Amino acid sequence: MSAPRSGPHKVLLALYALFTLAAGARALVQLTTQYDDAPVAYWLSLVAAVTYALGWYAIRSASEGRTAFASVMLWVELAGVLIVGVLSLVKDEWFPEPSVWSDFGIGYGFVPLALPIAGLLWLRRQKAAEVQADDRS
Amino acid sequence: MPSVSTQITYIVVGYAALVAVLAAVAAVRGGERPRWLDQMVWMLELLLGFRALAGLSAFSGDGPDSTSTYVGYLLASVCVLPIAMKSIEGDRAVWSSAVVAVAAIAVGVLVVRLEMTA
Repeated sequence: MSAPRSGPHKVLLALYALFTLAAGARALVQLTTQYDDAPVAYWLSLVAAVTYALGWYAIRSASEGRTAFASVMLWVELAGVLIVGVLSLVKDEWFPEPSVWSDFGIGYGFVPLALPIAGLLWLRRQKAAEVQADDRS
Repeated sequence: MPSVSTQITYIVVGYAALVAVLAAVAAVRGGERPRWLDQMVWMLELLLGFRALAGLSAFSGDGPDSTSTYVGYLLASVCVLPIAMKSIEGDRAVWSSAVVAVAAIAVGVLVVRLEMTA
């Protein structure tokens, strides 16, 4: 199945690309210039950047009909935001500087928390549309 | 009186907000992405180019606090819109207007961050 020309996935792809760039650049700058200030937070920002890159690929694949990877990846991303968000609140000594997912992404207007939820909602709709298409054929 | 780059920042942020609102309205109303929205995006890109050129003046004197962060914001501010427009090339459906709205918000935030790190 080829990728549909348009749809909500285009907005998700734009947001995932933006966050890959933002989190990746931030993590690389912090890891290379201020490593000793908050190594745990900076490594977690790099993990977030890699997750966004994989999320971009997962949504791209799902838009072409291959939904398996996105079904795993978006839950992994949501778990990451929630775990790091909780850790940043209960273990604040690990986060002298914030990571991308600290306080559930408050530094980015909570978009990191909303993104995997929006992705999972889109994926559910995408799977339902595929089932309908299979039933018709 | 604010510096020239700060004055351009005000104009860019205001114009980016206008583009974002109009793109969001176009997306909500449905239908094809209007041609005038594309023209507004490229006008915004031109303003971002002026802001980036003015931003080079930050390297005179002591320079920015974190050169790598500043250069990152400077480059990202001029790259986001062309990449976003490339991603919706040949797609004029309603969701392409939403992509423009997201990109316009992103460059607005980037320019504010650029100003803060100068």
